Amino acid sequence: MRSIFKTFIILILFTGLLFSCKDKRNPNYQYMANKDMYSSLGYETYSKNPVFKDSISAQKPANGSIARGKIPYDYPDSVEGYEFAKKNLISPLEKNEENLAQGKYLYDIYCATCHGIKGDGQGVLSQREKFLGIPNYKDRQITEGSIYHVIMYGRNLMGSHASQLRENERWQIVQYVEKLKSELQ
Amino acid sequence: MRSVLKHNQPKRLITGLLFFLISTLTINAQDGNPLKGKELFNANCAACHQLDKRLVGPPLQKIGEKRDQKWLIKWIKDSQSLINSGDKDAIAIFEEYNKIPMLAFPNLSDQDIIDMLSYTDGNQAVGADGKPIDEAYLNGKKIFQVNCAACHKLERKLIGPPLGNISDKRQMPWLKSFIKDSQAMIKAGDKDAVAIYEEYQKVLMLPFPQLTDKEIEDVIHYTTLGDNEESVQLSAAMDNEDLQIYRIWIIRFVIALISLILIIIIFSTRNLLLKFSAIAMLVLGFTYYAFSWLFQIGVDDGYQPIQPIAFSHKIHSGDNKINCQYCHSSAKHSKTSEIPSVNVCMNCHKSISEYKGILYDGYDKAFYDGEIQKVYDAVGWDKINSKYKENFVQKPIQWIRVHNLADFAYFNHAQHVTAGKVECKTCHGPVEEMQEVSQFAPLTMGWCVDCHRTTEVPMASNKYYQEIHKALAKKLGVEKITVAQMGGLECGKCHY
Repeated sequence: MRSIFKTFIILILFTGLLFSCKDKRNPNYQYMANKDMYSSLGYETYSKNPVFKDSISAQKPANGSIARGKIPYDYPDSVEGYEFAKKNLISPLEKNEENLAQGKYLYDIYCATCHGIKGDGQGVLSQREKFLGIPNYKDRQITEGSIYHVIMYGRNLMGSHASQLRENERWQIVQYVEKLKSELQ
Repeated sequence: MRSVLKHNQPKRLITGLLFFLISTLTINAQDGNPLKGKELFNANCAACHQLDKRLVGPPLQKIGEKRDQKWLIKWIKDSQSLINSGDKDAIAIFEEYNKIPMLAFPNLSDQDIIDMLSYTDGNQAVGADGKPIDEAYLNGKKIFQVNCAACHKLERKLIGPPLGNISDKRQMPWLKSFIKDSQAMIKAGDKDAVAIYEEYQKVLMLPFPQLTDKEIEDVIHYTTLGDNEESVQLSAAMDNEDLQIYRIWIIRFVIALISLILIIIIFSTRNLLLKFSAIAMLVLGFTYYAFSWLFQIGVDDGYQPIQPIAFSHKIHSGDNKINCQYCHSSAKHSKTSEIPSVNVCMNCHKSISEYKGILYDGYDKAFYDGEIQKVYDAVGWDKINSKYKENFVQKPIQWIRVHNLADFAYFNHAQHVTAGKVECKTCHGPVEEMQEVSQFAPLTMGWCVDCHRTTEVPMASNKYYQEIHKALAKKLGVEKITVAQMGGLECGKCHY
């Protein structure tokens, strides 16, 4: 009887070991944790960094630096800049199906939530009244240049979308918005 | 005779227990949710199918009784390949319905399809308490929270009057016209309308011409029933979670019990065959569990850290349908899909400083408003004057990364999102339903490899590699090539 009792205790301990609860708030244990093959020795983009004062690894580029392949946008973020871009800024992209298709793909991700799939201002966020007063493209005087300028800097309640889109992507969206506008009229 | 008895009993016991064990292990198979199924059905199927009538496709009422569930899942996900594989039933339907191929729905999960089948089989949505769910109530509640809750509460005055049991006070037609355009009624000199207008400091109620009569009826239905049902539903949901844990512990207990009985058999029986088989079962069983324990080391599916801000993907991407890539915009170009910087949050939250949506999990509006305030505190936004504070030192929000691939494995988001056109949810799961994000996929090598083996490379749409894909398909003698055949299993592709 005693041996059975002993095995029972062993059994309970063993079951406890096998079924020990995984805590979902902490990562699981690892083989060779904290060794260089599992986690990077170097600082990663989002890791803390003791070298910098604000402890952010992903530092902003120095003022005035220009990333390779990128052209700075010279129009200022002001009413004059907007008017100037509206008149003078012209798309460098060829008008073709490929650019339009890519423009639609990007428009549906970055713009349609507010402006609506058709550009009529009836996006999900305006229908649910999170954002009110989103204009219909057909009611606005917009040109290639002004659309690009607004994507770049935002306007009124709309924020800048420059950080989410590359230059040629912005122009692809511009092309698609012009198409939507022409379809609405 | 005695020896025969002794011989038989433990055997019966073992088979009985084994049967019990197997049956408890399969409890986990989930049943469908007809309410969700209806939504999915209306979104995906209703264009071509009706329940009781033939449309472009066959009527789908009770289709679950006619066909095998596995067959249906295969068919819905990709009917064309089922037909091509020579399945008789599939070909018969294809012929019967004028050879119009059904759209493939690879985006639906097995659970989605089970939900839809549960709807087509005519199951009524049933709450955890066993009573049917009141759809009008739920709908009315939703509309109330979106449209009315900013100014009205059920039980007390806010900007406008309390709306609990409003139907006792007013007639339905009056309510309908008041909600649609109160100002017109006041101008027309309706006594009741003018009285309310005077009582509430002449603050005009927004007109809601977009609400249909049915929607207003639902809202009134909700205000009549009140929120009592909610607490029932909430606790019921929790009970369900408790039940899950309960089930797991039953299974564990049964396993422990079986092991104990096997040990008793080993020590007490003199029958060598029985003894030996009991030992073998015990050893095999424990080896199995020992190995499954060893295999889950370093696997983090289900990991759900507490984030510094209770950001809800369900609200942002589920309710408000914001695309994943709106915020995680670098997924299309970069190895990393980034955690959005706060300027992206501020694109919307410059104007949205308080939460007016559905309240989940018992949190109140003040809680959600506080979470939005955390964003403002980090970035120095003055919400009253609607501008950034001057000379403010911005602080980073220290999000905790959920998906961590070990450093020895290379993974590139752009390669999957842009070139491979893989949906985010294929790997990250239904994030749009998650209040708190948890890791969905195990991110093990076997999991990667499985997908590489089965995923076909879309050759036609990829101009850049067209020639090489053609040559490869010719060389391998196949029409379609998978990622694996293209070299997606070579060690150096991911480990270098």
